[in-house]
Amino acid sequence: MGAMQRFDCLKTLSRLAGDALVVSSAGAVTLEWNAARPSDGNLRVRTLGLCSSIALGMALGLPQRKIIALDGDGSLLMNLSSLATLARMKPKNLIHIVFDNEVYEASGKKKTATGEGADLVGLARAAGIQNALWAGSAAEFAQAAERALNGAALTFIGVKVGTERAAVPPYPIDEVENKYRFIRHVEKTEQMVILSTNLPASYD
Amino acid sequence: MNSTEAAQSIVAGLRDAGINFVATLPDINLAELLRAVEEERDFIHVPLCREEEGIGICAGAYLVGKKCAAIMQNGGFFNSNNAIVSTLLQYQIPLLLMIYFAGDVGDRTFGSTGSMTEPVLQALGIRYYVMRDSEDAPELIRRAQILAEDCRRPVALLLTKEVLGRRPALRSL
Repeated sequence: MGAMQRFDCLKTLSRLAGDALVVSSAGAVTLEWNAARPSDGNLRVRTLGLCSSIALGMALGLPQRKIIALDGDGSLLMNLSSLATLARMKPKNLIHIVFDNEVYEASGKKKTATGEGADLVGLARAAGIQNALWAGSAAEFAQAAERALNGAALTFIGVKVGTERAAVPPYPIDEVENKYRFIRHVEKTEQMVILSTNLPASYD
Repeated sequence: MNSTEAAQSIVAGLRDAGINFVATLPDINLAELLRAVEEERDFIHVPLCREEEGIGICAGAYLVGKKCAAIMQNGGFFNSNNAIVSTLLQYQIPLLLMIYFAGDVGDRTFGSTGSMTEPVLQALGIRYYVMRDSEDAPELIRRAQILAEDCRRPVALLLTKEVLGRRPALRSL
């Protein structure tokens, strides 16, 4: 198993991410990212597999903003077709990072298919994502993340990590509050109105 | 209305409802509609590989300010159920679901899919309307989108062959 730990990568990423909107997969990655970069610009995903798709919708809807997807191997394996859709739409502002620990970490540590040889970077490339690479060390990860954040090309970064979980606090808010805070954050930072209400009928 | 006119009418309805982001997966009965969606310059159009990813894509687009519709067959609606429950319903995210009603009365194939479509929508608490009349389509789409936005939930419109202009309407249905 690789010597790298996910939380160390996330701490590095938090120094590089700027005001990027970040979507994180169901599981410990969400709690660790919230500890590394607490922000209303973070969205926790609850449907296993949907991280890459939610991030794609954000990237297409807000092309001027960097979007980062923090995915896992079990999650991505459940939604491999999202790689082909990502490649087809090619959003220049999306960085898809997959922490591959080769197990369903939150579900009893059973081995995933990557633990038996499935190669997620190979699958991403074969789906048509040209900028797809493994980061084999902390330095390589920092360099790849920095290049992607400063560049303008759909990028897929795979990182083999251990199965350790960092001691971090639980996620502080529920899904509905997460949604409202996220939308208000986008409204404020993009100076746009997303949610509005209508006047009552008596004002007609 | 023939299927080309029906498709244009539905797309005009989506545009008038404020929809500007559309995820789709083909069905032969949706061919004209999807062609019209592709040609509509006001839409960001995302062709899908599997319908469930479309639920996530539309949810993400909604969170950054887009008004979204997902067009699919009812089999694809079944494929999407986990995402509908644990993303759309859990986060209270609206989405206009435009579902082709395969196995509708008189269809020779997909009878089981057709039979289970309304019960599953009911079980999920998703309000839905069966569209039979092309003339009503734009107004019904506009109203369904208002409902989805105001209750912050998905709302489904079942697209029959009649409303898609592929067979004449039966007045008694």
